[in-house]
Amino acid sequence: MRVSAALPIGVAALLFESARRRRMAEGRLTEMLEKAGYGEAILPILDYVEPYEALLTAASRSELYRFIDRDGEELALRGDFTPMLARLLAPRLTALALPLRVFYRGDVIRYVEERAGRQRELYQVGAELLGVPSEPGQAAEREVLRLFLAALAAGGSAGGGEIQVVLGFAGALDGLLLGSGADPVGLAAAVARRERGVVRTACPALLPVVETGLPHRPEDLGPGAAGTLADLLALRDELAAGFPAVRLAVDLAEFARHSLDPRLSVDAGERSYYDGIVFHAFAGAAALPVGGGGRYDSLFRRLGAELPAVGFSISLERLLEAGATREVRP
Amino acid sequence: MIRLALPKGRNLEVTLAAFRAAGLLQGHDGGGRSLLTQLPADGIETLSLKDWDLPLYVEHGVADCGVVGSDVLSEVDGDLLVPVRLKAGRSRMSFIGRGHAMPESGAQVRLATKYPQTARRIVAGRPWGAEIVKLSGSVELAPLLSLAELALDIVQTGRTLAENNLVEIETVAEVAACLVVNRASYQRHRAVLNDWIDRLEAAEVVS
Repeated sequence: MRVSAALPIGVAALLFESARRRRMAEGRLTEMLEKAGYGEAILPILDYVEPYEALLTAASRSELYRFIDRDGEELALRGDFTPMLARLLAPRLTALALPLRVFYRGDVIRYVEERAGRQRELYQVGAELLGVPSEPGQAAEREVLRLFLAALAAGGSAGGGEIQVVLGFAGALDGLLLGSGADPVGLAAAVARRERGVVRTACPALLPVVETGLPHRPEDLGPGAAGTLADLLALRDELAAGFPAVRLAVDLAEFARHSLDPRLSVDAGERSYYDGIVFHAFAGAAALPVGGGGRYDSLFRRLGAELPAVGFSISLERLLEAGATREVRP
Repeated sequence: MIRLALPKGRNLEVTLAAFRAAGLLQGHDGGGRSLLTQLPADGIETLSLKDWDLPLYVEHGVADCGVVGSDVLSEVDGDLLVPVRLKAGRSRMSFIGRGHAMPESGAQVRLATKYPQTARRIVAGRPWGAEIVKLSGSVELAPLLSLAELALDIVQTGRTLAENNLVEIETVAEVAACLVVNRASYQRHRAVLNDWIDRLEAAEVVS
């Protein structure tokens, strides 16, 4: 009998050279993480759904591949490493020496509509720094971002490709969005899509954010957010000096849907648990980020533990593809 | 060099007119049969794409930006930025049928359209249900010849409908040609792209 080599939508087999390229990139990346003092965690591909119920949004739920096991338990394929690591560590915190530096590698499986460039199986390498709060001095943010930038360079160095990292923080625009008088959820979506007309009518103070990524005056964001913005801009400048090949920008419109206010809770496509700094990277021309991360202190809180946390993940195939397709553009 | 994807078909003329009013694409002749046109003085290269392919090219960064109808965008949205919409060439997306009334509550009808995803989203909020039939053109024929009770399609003047005894029962959205921009390109070419958008706004050809 002849069998077909066809695979389900959204997955791919890497053979020979493409497999070798990914393993090499993975090797460079994990070696770098180990040298930086991060220890590996190998996590299962299957888990119960129940521990994640409190964390799931409508969007992340619809991405999960869920099924009933033979013994009647509801299981899901791993769709995200960060919550899985958090739910495994939360009950063990008293026995762990903090801060904890953890890295992982493996597949995440997410249902996405069939579309060119959107894989349902993504191979990720990521790292988490646990137990270091944001204050004072954003030490954890600085360490994780430095690692993220170095990892992008290490992972993608087979093909190169220009790397752009965009920085923001959750809740930056909450004050303006809620104070506008317009539907704040709709307005947040319009800011994220940079729809000038809608934003100009609803909240003129948001227009410079849409155009330049920053408010005309930091005070427009409110006192707390203005201070956070100043810290973030300083961190951006410091990192830019250390990584001249990477374009680093603070752009609050890019993360308009990352809110801290329940009235603004929307099902953004990206991970919705970030509650401090949030960032993602573009490599090459494609609009899909090759990686991203942020601070997610409240994730542990929702799991019944107190642990500040910052982390990132990189999708290796996207990063390698960005390097490989770079030559197409003039 | 910014790569701008121009739409083939009905949106091409309004797009060229809007960009020319803003002082851009002055030397562009519409492209004729050529797929790529370079305007080195403007720092622009244009490519000519079918509406339905254009969002994918922009999403993948083959083009940095483009102009495409909001009807297509609502069907194949690829997380693109949509800074402005062209004022000219606006039309509307409407339910079309032979009678004047929408289906009664609880009814199940057949709905012909080029926009099955959009139709599904709209019908989900209605008290009636629909079997959605995807067609690729001449959607008005479906209610006329009873392939479907309803059609969801673009209406420009309504003249074709009137000539064929069809009724525009309900308008569901205004349709405009939109400037769409790739997220990564916007970060890279922000100054140039914002300048274009400023010029389009100053020429009052967008809203």
